Order: sequence, then C-alpha cells, then structure tokens
Amino acid sequence: MHTAWTQDATLLAAILATLLPFLAFVLIMVATRSWPRLSAGLSIAAVTVSLGCAVFLLEAHWNLEKPIQYTARWLVSGDINIPLGYLLDPTSLLMLTTVALISFLIQVYSLGYMAGDPGFSRYYAFLSLFVWAMMCLALAPNLFQLYIFWELVGLSSYFLIGFWYEKFSASQAGKKALVMTRVGDVSLLLGILLVLLHLGNLNILEIDSPEVAAHMSPNLLTLSALLIFGGIIGKSAQFPLLTWLPDAMEGPTPVSALLHSSTMVAAGVYLFERLFPFFLLSPVAMTVGLAIGAVSMLMAATMAMVSRDMKQILAYSTISQLGFMIMGLDAGSFFSGVFHLTTHAGFKALLFLCAGVFIHKYATNDIFELARQGGRSLKIPMTCTLIGAAALAGIPPLSGFFSKEAILAGLADLSNPVWLAAGLLGVFLTAYYAFRLIFILLFPRTAMALAGAAKVAISPKDRNPPWPPFEKGGNRPSSPFSYGATNTSPFPNGGTKNSPFSKGGPRGIFTVKSAEANAHGPGGPHSGHAAGQHRRVYWVMAWPLIILAGITVMLGFLQSPLETFLGHQYPAVALPEAAHIVWLPYLALILTIGGVGLAWAEFGRRDARQVGFVERIPVLYRLFTERWYLDHFYRLLVDRVIDRGIATLFFENDNKVIDGSIDGMCKGTVAMGRLLAFLNSAMIQYRLLATFAVLVLLSLYLFLKF
Amino acid sequence: MIVPFGHVLLLAGVLFLLGLFCAVARRNLIMMVLGVEIMLNAASIVFVAAALHWKQLEGQVFVLFILAVAATEVSVGLAMIVYAYRRTGSFDPGAYNLLQ
Amino acid sequence: MTFYAFIFYVVAALIIATTALAITRRNLVHAVVYLIFSFLGSAMLFYLFGAPLLAALEVIIYAGAIMVLFLMIIMMVKVESPAERMYPLSQWLPAAGFGLIYLTVGALMVFATPGSEIPLEMALATPKEFALYVFRRHWLSIEVVSLLLLVALIGAFHLGKRKGGNEAEDEV
Repeated sequence: MHTAWTQDATLLAAILATLLPFLAFVLIMVATRSWPRLSAGLSIAAVTVSLGCAVFLLEAHWNLEKPIQYTARWLVSGDINIPLGYLLDPTSLLMLTTVALISFLIQVYSLGYMAGDPGFSRYYAFLSLFVWAMMCLALAPNLFQLYIFWELVGLSSYFLIGFWYEKFSASQAGKKALVMTRVGDVSLLLGILLVLLHLGNLNILEIDSPEVAAHMSPNLLTLSALLIFGGIIGKSAQFPLLTWLPDAMEGPTPVSALLHSSTMVAAGVYLFERLFPFFLLSPVAMTVGLAIGAVSMLMAATMAMVSRDMKQILAYSTISQLGFMIMGLDAGSFFSGVFHLTTHAGFKALLFLCAGVFIHKYATNDIFELARQGGRSLKIPMTCTLIGAAALAGIPPLSGFFSKEAILAGLADLSNPVWLAAGLLGVFLTAYYAFRLIFILLFPRTAMALAGAAKVAISPKDRNPPWPPFEKGGNRPSSPFSYGATNTSPFPNGGTKNSPFSKGGPRGIFTVKSAEANAHGPGGPHSGHAAGQHRRVYWVMAWPLIILAGITVMLGFLQSPLETFLGHQYPAVALPEAAHIVWLPYLALILTIGGVGLAWAEFGRRDARQVGFVERIPVLYRLFTERWYLDHFYRLLVDRVIDRGIATLFFENDNKVIDGSIDGMCKGTVAMGRLLAFLNSAMIQYRLLATFAVLVLLSLYLFLKF
Repeated sequence: MIVPFGHVLLLAGVLFLLGLFCAVARRNLIMMVLGVEIMLNAASIVFVAAALHWKQLEGQVFVLFILAVAATEVSVGLAMIVYAYRRTGSFDPGAYNLLQ
Repeated sequence: MTFYAFIFYVVAALIIATTALAITRRNLVHAVVYLIFSFLGSAMLFYLFGAPLLAALEVIIYAGAIMVLFLMIIMMVKVESPAERMYPLSQWLPAAGFGLIYLTVGALMVFATPGSEIPLEMALATPKEFALYVFRRHWLSIEVVSLLLLVALIGAFHLGKRKGGNEAEDEV
C-alpha cells in the first residue's frame, strides 16, 4: 500500500498495536533488565496502547463487509509472492481484541503475583514477546507469516513455562511443550507446502476463496487439510498430542491464564477459523476433526474428574473445551466455534487467575489442601471461581451457556447422532468436574474424616501408585493418600539466595508442590510480603478478576450482535441454517443440572465422603490419573522405537555401512596390492602361470572377436 | 590321406597343456625344465604338420631350429640349476624367493 | 579310416599317455624315461608326416642327448631333500582351470576354421632335398644357431666350473 501510513488510521492503529510490544520486549531485554518496575511499566504501557488500538479498530470496523488487507513486499521468487502485512476482517479483529484485553489484564495481575521474583523483568519481556507474536499471528494475511508467528508463540511459551528454570521439572515441561508442538508444526508445514505447491501462494483470502478447488484435486485438499489439522492438534493440545498442556502448568499461573487457556492454545482453533472455507471443501477432514475433538473432549474430561491439582483440572478442562470448539467448527457452524472461543477465553482466564490468588496465598496447588487452609475465606476469588465454574458448566445466564448451546445446535445438525451424544456427554462431565472443584473448595473436611474416608474407598492394592518412570512435571497425579503428607519444607536451610530451587530433580510421590508453590512457600521469594503490601498485592490481583467476571456474565448477551458481526466473515460460504431443535437447550440444561447434582451428592453434602464415583473404580481411576497411559506410550515410543530402533539403525549404518565401506575400500586396496605384489615377487611358477593366464584370456578375446 | 589337420592341432594342444602343467604345478626345478621341453616338442609337432598341410618346407626347417635352441636352453638351464642347488641346497622353487 | 590314420591315432595315444605319466611321477628318473618314450612317439609322428630327417634328429638329439643330460644331472646331484610337495592346490587349480579354458577355446577355434577337416596328404621330404633347401634358403639362420650353440657351450662351461674358494666372484 502506498498510502502514507501515518494518515491511514486503521493501518496506524494496526502497526502500533502489534509493534509496540515488540519494542517493549527489545528494550527490556537489552536495557532495563535491572529495573523491574521500569520494565513492567514499559510492558504494561505497550499493551495498554495495543488494547486501545485494538478496541479502536474493532469499533471503527464494526460493520466491516470486506476484509482490509495491507501488505508489504517481502519474499518474491519467480511466481511465488509472500508478503508481510495485516489482514483485518471480523475474526481477526475479534481475536486481536481478545488477546489485547486478556494480556492487559494479566500483565496488571502479574504486578501483584510476581512481585519480588528475581526474574521479574525477564517475565515481562517474555510476556511482551508473546503479545507481539500472538497479535501478528492474528493479523497474518498469509499462512507463512502465520507460521512464523506460530513458532514464535511456541517459543515464548517455552520461555514462560520454564520460567523458573532452576527447577528441573519446569525446564523439562518447557522442553516437552516445545517438542510436542513442534511435532504438530511439522505436519502444519507440510500442509502449507502442499498448498504453496499447488496454489502458487499462501494468501489466506485466496485459500478461502472457491478457486482453490480449481487448483487442487479433492484428495490433495483432504491431505493438506489433514496436515494443517495436525498442526492444530499440536498447538491446541488435542489427542494425541495433549500431554504437554498439563505439564505446562509448571509455569506461573498468569502465564497459564494467558497462554494455555485463552490465547496460545486458541491459536490452533483460530487457524481453523481462518481456513474455515478451505476445511469445508474436504468432508473427510471435517469428520476426522470431529472425531479428534470428541475424543479429546471426553478424554480430558475424564482426566479432570480425578485430579487433585487445581491447575491441572483447569488444564484438562482447557483441552476438553478446545475439543468442544473444534467439534463445533467441524460441524459446519462457524459462529459457534468463534463464540465459544471468545467466551472460553474469558472464563478460563478468570478461573486461572482465581487459582493464582489461592496458590499465591496458600502455597499449594492441591484443592483439598486449599480448602482445608481456608480458601473460601477469600471472598472475591471464591466468588469469581464460582462464576467461572458456572460458566464452564454452562449454567444460564452466563456466557458459557449461550456458546455451549450454539455448539450443540451445530452438532445436532449433523446426520450422525453420535456427535451430538458425545457433546451432551461432554456437557455432563464438564458440569460434574467443574462443580467437584467448587464443592471441594467450598466445603473442606477435617483431616481425620478425609483420611478415614479415603482409606475405605481405595483397595489395598492401590496404596502405592507406581512411580512414573518419566518426568511429568512437578505435579504428580496425586492419590488420596498424599493428604496429610504435603507439609514438606523445601528449604531446610531457609535461605533463598539466588535460586530458591537448589534442590532440583524429581520430587517424592506424595508432594504436590509445583514450582510456583515453592515460590510462594516459606523461604520463597514471594512469601515475604508485609501486611500492607499484602493488601495492595491482593487488590492489584483482584481487579482483573472482577473485570473478567463481569465480562463472563455480560458476554452471553452479546450473542446476536456478534453473530451479525461475524456473519460478514464468509458470506460466500453457505453456512447451514441451524435447525432449531426445541428440546435441545432443555436437555442440555438437564444434563448440566444432573452433573452439578451428582457433584453435590458426592462432594457437597454434609456427610459426603468427597470421593468421586470414578475414584471408587480402581481400574478407571488408574487409567484417568495416568492420563490414559499416553505418557507411557510416548516414553515407550521415544525409548524403543526412536532411540533403540531408528537412532540405533542410523548409528549402525553410519558405523558399519558408511565407515565400514570406506574402511573396506582401504582394506580392499591393500589386499589388491598384496595380490599384485604376490604375483610379482612370489615363486617363479606363479609368474609363469600368470603369463599363461593372460595368454588364454587374450586368445579367448580374439576368438570371441572373430 | 592321413588325419585332418585339426586333429593334429588338438594333439599338440593337449601336449602343450601337459607340458605347462608339469612346469607350473610341480615343485621341482628339473621338472620345470622338463615341462618346457614337452611344450617345445608340442610346438614342433604343429610345425611339421603345418609344413605337410601347406606343402612348405619352412615348417621343418623351423623344427630344426627348435631342436637346436632346446638343446642350448637345456644345457644352460641345467647348469644353472646345479649351480643354484649348490648355493641353496634344494630344488624347490619356493626356496628361491629372494625378492619376498 | 586309412592305415596311416590308424597309425596316427595309436601314436597320438601313446604320446599323450606317456607324457601324462611322465609329468606325474615322483621319481625323476621314471619321469625322464617316460618322456623318452614320448619323444620316440614324436619321432614316429614326424616320420609319418614326411620328415624322416627330423625324426632321426629328434631321436638323436632330443631323446638321445637332452634326456640323457637330464638323467646325468639327476643322478649327479643327490636329491636328499624330502620328497617334493606334489601338486599344491594353489598351483594346480589355476593351471587346470586356465588349461581347460585354453583347451575349449582351442578346440572351438580348430573346428571353426573351415580348412581344418581337410585331411593331410602324404608327402615326403627326403633328407637330400631338405638339406639342399635349408642351406640354400636359410643358411644365415644356421650360422646364427651355431653361434648360439657356441654361446651355450661357453656359458655351460663357465657355470659348471667349480671355483676354489672365492665366493665373492661368483655371479649368476
């Protein structure tokens, strides 16, 4: 575009929104590392401006009919032209605003949460990096720019998950996240390359237009759609690449709230939204997506039902809800997926931030422990948790209810009823585990009652769950027997020095202390707040909670305006008219209330034992806590197949075949030399024989010639 | 009318082979020289038969020369063998491998 | 098959048999005696092919002088060394292999040549004719051969001389 960019308000706003966080990142890393307050100020200022610009853009283009695209020439090679730039259409504007708002709230929250941490500036630098990458991803006009920022988002996730890198399990979790998403990214790259090969360029607008079907045969379309979906599986933690997300809870809670609930893992779903018409062209890919979404949703819900760690419950819940979103999108209903993405971003971030307040105060992740230590006495976080969990379960009139209904309506449109059944089952399980969390937090039991109850419920065989042979992050799948054994002090010498986590390595079976629990425990850097400071920190953390809770409540009523707004997105695609099944909302509501009731019966009543129905079945319990043995499977895969199989094969090939052949050539040359020397210097009769042999061969040659 | 020329050639060939075998496969110097003699004899058979075949006397003349050369070579060769035997004490050609 | 052909085949069989026996004897004297029989057969063959002078010369020089020389040397030099290793495989096998190829090629060549089935015709070169021919046409070669014999004589004489004690002067 040759318009002076200072005069075009839209372009200016887009540039400011995306580049200022990058500037903040650079400045912090280079210049202001030693002044934490200044770094935080820079970062928050940048994200505030970004938020302002995003809101401005959303407001200015509320009635956007055609997408606006700004591009600058970047990669030109022959016929291939890949520019850099911005693509502004309803989806991207909505995503931009979501990202900016939640980043802003979380950066403010982190002022309180991470106060006193030695890596404070580094933290804000990485947060700015993330904001920049995510915004440029949202506004990417072609798949290549999207891929670049996709990887950058993964990189900042790695930095942030392993933020407390002195703890071994945290750095392991960061590595695991990066490697697993990388596996998905390979598939994504293959899909992008396929599209590039056949289409000639990677502009999203072109990919979404019908003419892509003219360039690519249906099989190719399916193949590239499936490959791109592989990338989405990796980034959005769907089956089978889902085990990195629970381990990513080693990072600080605001990071979990920002990255691993609302924005980064949503990038996968966002990519799906971007290429929605493209995916629509291939029914096979849609069905595969439905299946994977359904499986992930149900699997993660089962894992959440038995977890004791608050952040892990929320992580599993994220996976489950992302699967639900993907199901909605794959059912053909564009709006329901986008809507649920937005509402989920709101209430999941809310839930994580509330969890952060609890963890910050009580220095443990375990929900029973939190309840016992008086978690429910913190009024604002408890209320917000209740609101968030209710939204998650889908209780009207919160936003979660509306978006769930939209998705279920989309699922009901499909000819195969199994998807709708899966969706409804998911609704039931979601309500169950969400309110399990609530009831455990609200109604703590005394130590003796719980220990007694737990002993009755579990058979003797399961008293000692097997030590997992691999690193799964600091949060072990806990058994009820860890109750009462969690009070270990990780700092016997009480010193903090530079690294409070001088004891790295795997933790014992019976502790649930994560990296951040240690950070908040006695001796950690976050523990030494004075009383007044406590109050200030508390209110800095509480305001974002209140804002998010307000959004959660209000967003549901914005469904129709959003629907018209997003209806302009793909006018060419004939979206199926949702057949209004009258009884569907009521059925969903009944299931929700059923889930809540079951949770109440098991966890909330006065004399309830607080042991779920799944925990009474040891086989199921073991299956769910071991994450359906996926981690075992991956460890086996890496150890047996990759290490002992493929790597050994290549190693032996390198040694025996490649080196061996060269050695063999040398040996052969030496042997040949010996043979010739033998002919020359040996007994005379051999030489006579050689002469005769040559003569015979010569005669043979001459004979054959004539 | 005697035999076809090809048969004579075959006979000479077999004889040549036998002589070669004697020269190469026996570990005795004297047998080596004997083998050479046999080979020369085979060649002279061929020459005489060829002289008969093409009615030229050159073949027979050459046999004369072969005879003379064979005599020469045997005498000098055997003298050398005797000399070598006096130096190394054996007739085995394997013992004469000074280059190895 | 004429009578001469019959004679030829018999003599050929004799030659081959005796030569084969000669080369496989461990005792050198036996080998030489068998070879003498072989040369006698050759002489008969020469006579059959119409070269009586050569037949006579073969008997006199080859069988008579050269083989006797062999016998002399064999008996003169006492072979006390252990019996020779008969036919080591590394020598025998390549020889047999290449020999077979040679035979096959030879046979094929012989039978492929168009003129090889023509039977030889009898002819005779009387000694007088033969001598006249040699001395008229190839007298120079005869002179060279005599020179060669002289050289051989000198060489044999020199080699056979047993020196007194100065080994350093000995050179082969």
